[in-house]
Amino acid sequence: MKFSWRRAIAIGRKEVFHILRDPFTLATALGLPVFMVVMFGSAIEFNVKNIDLAISDSDQTSASRRLMDTFQSSGYFKIHRVVSPNEALVNLTTETARASVIIPPNFEKDLTSDRGSQVQCLLDGSDSSTVAPVLGYLGKIQSISNDRIAAFNPTSPFELRTRFLFNPELNSKWFVIPGLNVIIMSMLSILLTALTVAREWENGSMELLLTTPVEPLEIIIGKLAPYGVLGITAMVFVYIIARAVFGVPFVGSLVVYGLGSLIFLMTYLSQGLLISVVTRNQQVAMQIAMMSGMLPSQLLSGFVFPIESMPIFFQKFTMIFPARWFMQISRDTFLKGSRMVDLGIPFLALIATCLLMMTLSTRIFKKDLEK
Amino acid sequence: MNQTLIGFIKKELIQTLRDPRMRVLLFVMPCVQLTLFGIALSNEVKNIRLAAHFDSNDWVMSHIYERATVSKWFLPVQAQDSDPYRLIESGVADAVLVAPPGGFTKALARKGAPLQVLVNATNVTQAQSVEGYLNSIVSQTVLDDLKISLPNPPIQFDQRVLFNPDLDTSVFMVPGTMAMLMIITTMILTNLAIVREKELGTFEMLISAPISSVEVIYGKTIPYVVLGMSNFPLILMVAVFAFGVPMRGNLLVLLASALTFVCTAVAMGTLISTYCKNQQQATLAGFLFMFPMIMFSGMMFPLENMPPVLRWVAYLDPLSHYMGLLRNIMLKGGGTEYVLTHISVLGTMAVVVVFLSFKRFHTTLG
Repeated sequence: MKFSWRRAIAIGRKEVFHILRDPFTLATALGLPVFMVVMFGSAIEFNVKNIDLAISDSDQTSASRRLMDTFQSSGYFKIHRVVSPNEALVNLTTETARASVIIPPNFEKDLTSDRGSQVQCLLDGSDSSTVAPVLGYLGKIQSISNDRIAAFNPTSPFELRTRFLFNPELNSKWFVIPGLNVIIMSMLSILLTALTVAREWENGSMELLLTTPVEPLEIIIGKLAPYGVLGITAMVFVYIIARAVFGVPFVGSLVVYGLGSLIFLMTYLSQGLLISVVTRNQQVAMQIAMMSGMLPSQLLSGFVFPIESMPIFFQKFTMIFPARWFMQISRDTFLKGSRMVDLGIPFLALIATCLLMMTLSTRIFKKDLEK
Repeated sequence: MNQTLIGFIKKELIQTLRDPRMRVLLFVMPCVQLTLFGIALSNEVKNIRLAAHFDSNDWVMSHIYERATVSKWFLPVQAQDSDPYRLIESGVADAVLVAPPGGFTKALARKGAPLQVLVNATNVTQAQSVEGYLNSIVSQTVLDDLKISLPNPPIQFDQRVLFNPDLDTSVFMVPGTMAMLMIITTMILTNLAIVREKELGTFEMLISAPISSVEVIYGKTIPYVVLGMSNFPLILMVAVFAFGVPMRGNLLVLLASALTFVCTAVAMGTLISTYCKNQQQATLAGFLFMFPMIMFSGMMFPLENMPPVLRWVAYLDPLSHYMGLLRNIMLKGGGTEYVLTHISVLGTMAVVVVFLSFKRFHTTLG
């Protein structure tokens, strides 16, 4: 029997009715991405500020007070004064402070006698997201306080002039939001398909569908297309929010971005299909969707944890995840304005995974039918 | 405990563990994932692709580049003669060093030599680190090559990183990942199991059977508490033996906090299940809760920076308390006050959620 669009469309229409009948699914598919982008877009901030800092001042002189002022006026820290060095240390264990500064008793005396004074800074090493920035801040404050308190300001023999391209103010939102949309879309598309098809198997309605004269490919296209439309709609919503609410610039070409989104969605939709065909059980489908879709796209896509820092094996391993490639396409088209030529590798990789997933799912689906 | 309840729990455990895929997913996958993520994930920025533009006779500059690329932070990119901006735009390099006209060595002799660095700032965390790394490399090289030694500053900060002095990333990441993986096997599974019975219609049967609704709820939830807790020693062993995450606190305290967390998570799963009609909704709802829970847990982003309203949201996230507890107990030995506060917060959450789900159950059953 030949492939017929009429039958595929009929299956598609049936699926649309399914979606429309269940307002919960529809609301999730469209409302969730919007809600999440707004929520996490405002929540996530990499420029660490207001770090709780415990200071114990055993010196109580004008010099030590000026040192404290320097910490205060830097704007990075929220200062808590404590009475003893021991308390400063305990504050780290009780999580009331992320760092402690202990000013020794002879701070001012050592300073005026040219012996130099040591100020002890203790950092809480259990929280990775704050250690690195705090170390950087301490370096800056050290040189400022040397200048202010001890009038020590040697001129450096060189100067480093850094230009931050594509995001000159190092705005975290510009970095996070183009990545967030990748994660939200990957979650949504895998989930929706994994569940719909698995449900049909569980209910037995798939068997029913098989007895009708519909070709496997027609079923697949008919089932996926409505979710593809749903995904693209959600994507447009997210794009509008990124631009209008968060003011993320978009300097690239919408055509390149749109094309990337389309291939990406197709890949994840067929991955969802594959999962559901293989598992035929919603509970297992859910677990696998979670492990193969949600966790890797959050953790191994370069969204927060840099791919370059992974061991070589994992750098190669991340290549099988479409989310990694689309992450690059999304960030580069948003901020860099990369052209198609520059994104050749991500696009090729995305197309390859897409074709692989599609053939695999159609093959297995077909084989299942013939049994 | 009465006979009915024990029978019920047994049935539930058998039903869940009957499927071999489920056994793998429950016991093997978390360990595998913890291992994978423990090895792969790190917040540290390294292997940045660095290109440089300088004359071959500019020896200070070539020393700088050499020193940078042998460090673990940078990787060399061989692209000497194209436009530096284009190198970054095309994605060949992440950062480019550009020597001043006439060379850096000569400019140093003139005093005040601006060395330009172009950084791709699409990745904010990476861009921030590049500046710091290069600064220290350049100043070190300049000092070594030209024998200029700056006088020691009078005020010196003696910095010490406690609890994880080597800044070993797996020590940060593993406790966080442990907490994250446990929520999957507890909250999500409970939710799905209950909704599944609802969808299949067997739940109606249970209600008509001579057992009280309290027994039904306990019978449906206790097995998942057991499953969640049986997972914990496995994950803990991977963390301690494979990754060398220190275990400085009391094991019993750690178990107590894990139990409280698992109870809270299972209770949440139960509550969510009362709102879901079919498994598809249950799954969507599971994702709906899980994604924010991970985001607000403090594993990926520092919670300190969030706007106050969202910090409250984070406070309602059981995962953030549990992650804090794991880190505090394992790495710091557990501050009594901290541990008690957060266990009681988790406990209160569990009680409130259990109460709510009882109420919901009664209304839906009625």
